[in-house]
Amino acid sequence: MQAVLASDYSFAQFQYLRRLLLVHGRWSYFRMCNFLGYFFYKNFAFTLVHFWYGFFCGFSAQAVYDQWFITLFNIIYTSLPVLAMGLFDQDVNDQNSLRYPSLYKPGQQNLLFNKRQFFLCTLQGVTTSFLLFFIPYGAFSAVVKEDGSNFSDQQTFAVTIATTLVIVVSVQIGLDTHYWTAVNHLFVWGSLIVYFAILFSMQSYGLFGLFPNNFPFIGAAYNCLSEKGVWLVILLTTTVCVVPGLVVSFLKVDLFSTLTDKVRYLQQSRKRHGPQEQSLRRVRRTSSRRSGYAFSHQQGYGELITSGKNMRRSTVSSACSLEKTTNGSNWIGNVLKRKNEVSCSSQEFIAAPEGNSSATKTPRQQRTD
Amino acid sequence: MMPTSYEDGHISVSGAGGGSMPGKKPENTAFKQQRLPAWQPVLTAGTVLPAFFIIGLIFIPIGIGLYVTSMNIKEFQIDYTGVDMSSPCYNCSQNFSWNSSRPCACSLPFYLDQPYDSNVFMYYGLSNFYQNHRRYVKSRDDSQLNGNQESLKDPSKECEPYAWSSSKPIAPCGAIANSMFNDTLELFYNDPNGSKVQIPLTATGIAWWTDKHVKFRNPGGNENLPAAFQGTTKPVNWHWPVYELDSDPENNGFINEDFIVWMRTAALPTFRKLYRIIQRKNNMVPTLPRGNYTLEVVYNYPVRSFDGRKRVILSTISWMGGKNPFLGIAYITVGSVCFLLGVVLLIIHHKYGSRNNIAT
Repeated sequence: MQAVLASDYSFAQFQYLRRLLLVHGRWSYFRMCNFLGYFFYKNFAFTLVHFWYGFFCGFSAQAVYDQWFITLFNIIYTSLPVLAMGLFDQDVNDQNSLRYPSLYKPGQQNLLFNKRQFFLCTLQGVTTSFLLFFIPYGAFSAVVKEDGSNFSDQQTFAVTIATTLVIVVSVQIGLDTHYWTAVNHLFVWGSLIVYFAILFSMQSYGLFGLFPNNFPFIGAAYNCLSEKGVWLVILLTTTVCVVPGLVVSFLKVDLFSTLTDKVRYLQQSRKRHGPQEQSLRRVRRTSSRRSGYAFSHQQGYGELITSGKNMRRSTVSSACSLEKTTNGSNWIGNVLKRKNEVSCSSQEFIAAPEGNSSATKTPRQQRTD
Repeated sequence: MMPTSYEDGHISVSGAGGGSMPGKKPENTAFKQQRLPAWQPVLTAGTVLPAFFIIGLIFIPIGIGLYVTSMNIKEFQIDYTGVDMSSPCYNCSQNFSWNSSRPCACSLPFYLDQPYDSNVFMYYGLSNFYQNHRRYVKSRDDSQLNGNQESLKDPSKECEPYAWSSSKPIAPCGAIANSMFNDTLELFYNDPNGSKVQIPLTATGIAWWTDKHVKFRNPGGNENLPAAFQGTTKPVNWHWPVYELDSDPENNGFINEDFIVWMRTAALPTFRKLYRIIQRKNNMVPTLPRGNYTLEVVYNYPVRSFDGRKRVILSTISWMGGKNPFLGIAYITVGSVCFLLGVVLLIIHHKYGSRNNIAT
């Protein structure tokens, strides 16, 4: 009882552990890494624009954005989409997570967020801030409005860069989200709409009339965003900021696809081709059950495992067959069989003949018991 | 009982006692069991590669259109700082001080080799002038400029040290107002038969409508400005007080358009601001015909001390604003790079791409 009160998770039967680890634990790791990477990227892109601006404002720490934008950026404009991603995102659905336990490996190997990934997020944030500043800089160095009046002023510059930033980070989280529920849609599009609503209302006459010194950006949004040139700048900057990330993601999936990518692809094609095959497998698998008792209630499988008897290639059917195995190999055998389904002649298949001769793989295999 | 892969995910983690107690089990709704219907996009070659080609095909024509439009805009710049000894304004730039009451005038001849049609816009440009310095940008009082009576007599602290002068409040206060551009520029056309014709310059319609009608207001209305500004003094570096900026009552005081244009601080250290508009006469005659012109400058504004430059720019405009080839070139570049990337990725995908066929 006290152990329950002191622990993060507690459950009554060992069978629950499987789902907790392979589905929820894996999703949690995946979501956390995505969230962290995106958060660093977003804040670097937002903040480093001031670094580049320093070269052109005498290093006087003049802010590029409106003060209100700085306040509301992380609270209102970009917080909800990333929250939705952190709550709902799934790379692979729960059935496939249980079916392909190797998907758990990235978590064990710390693949999704390490120094390298952090460096890449930071690099992407720095590059985005660079483009976010210098493309409007180039466009605004000699720009005027359609009626000839000035345009290259501080406030228009601020509104342009701020709008571009919000659009770029929203597009980026759109590309990063793998599982678009209705909530995600609502938060992403809603944040953009709220941004424009707040922008126009804060730079309107009403608030300026009440507090002239606190809302000096009156008229800036209207004058700025009604120019076609500004929207062309925004479109160009958004495209240039998003394309490199897209190229890298695509190349990673195409050239160095991981098990996750393969399973996602499989999931998508299965969805398209219907679930007929799945019902077949279902019937066959219900026959292989294991005891619901925890290992400690009986002698256990320690000896069976260490003798390596159940891990011989001969005890498990050859690749891609659906025959059920004898009781001796039971769950481990099924796991191995499923690995075979993923890549028919893959090298992943653990076929350590005796004991622990192939060092790394067998202990890991034992750990998943 | 072994949980199969197809069982509904409602295994609960509960407290001691084995098996779930009825009250503690989470609901089996799609939201709580993370089964919400969702769109799951996957990055495949079939989606990404066409996107690159489409971007390329859209951006390149836009870029070409922007570039051609920009090339059709005519622009002429003339620097009149007077840096070289040979420049007509050299003397004015040298022996100048703020307290000098004698205005220095110089005139620069130039030649326009193309006629300018439709409205021509005359800008003054400054270089190396950091209107975007933080202390400078802060140094203004927006409620005073909005006509607020309390702020008129008691300027905000942000305007320091340009808030009080000889124990009187400065109207308008602040460093931005104090450094207002006050050169006078006039344009003359040298007729082929010898006479000098002054070109009429319009001084209104150069500021934003929202600035002139909402942001900047004269205290106590536009009538009788000297009485409204009683008890205040002019900024330190101005030659005349704010209610003598123009004889037109709609363009005097805080709502003077030159003043408003100056108060809209520029984003970059090299900038241009609209000075005057040369209205077109009619569709037959070019607004500025080809030929010799003279620019008459009353040189009041010193920029040599900080290595700045002053220049006059005459320009026509189009739907995308003034002459700015950057955007056109950028669009063409990005469009071509995207298209090229699409081609390269297509080749890479064909030769080395993994075929995502899992045993199905």
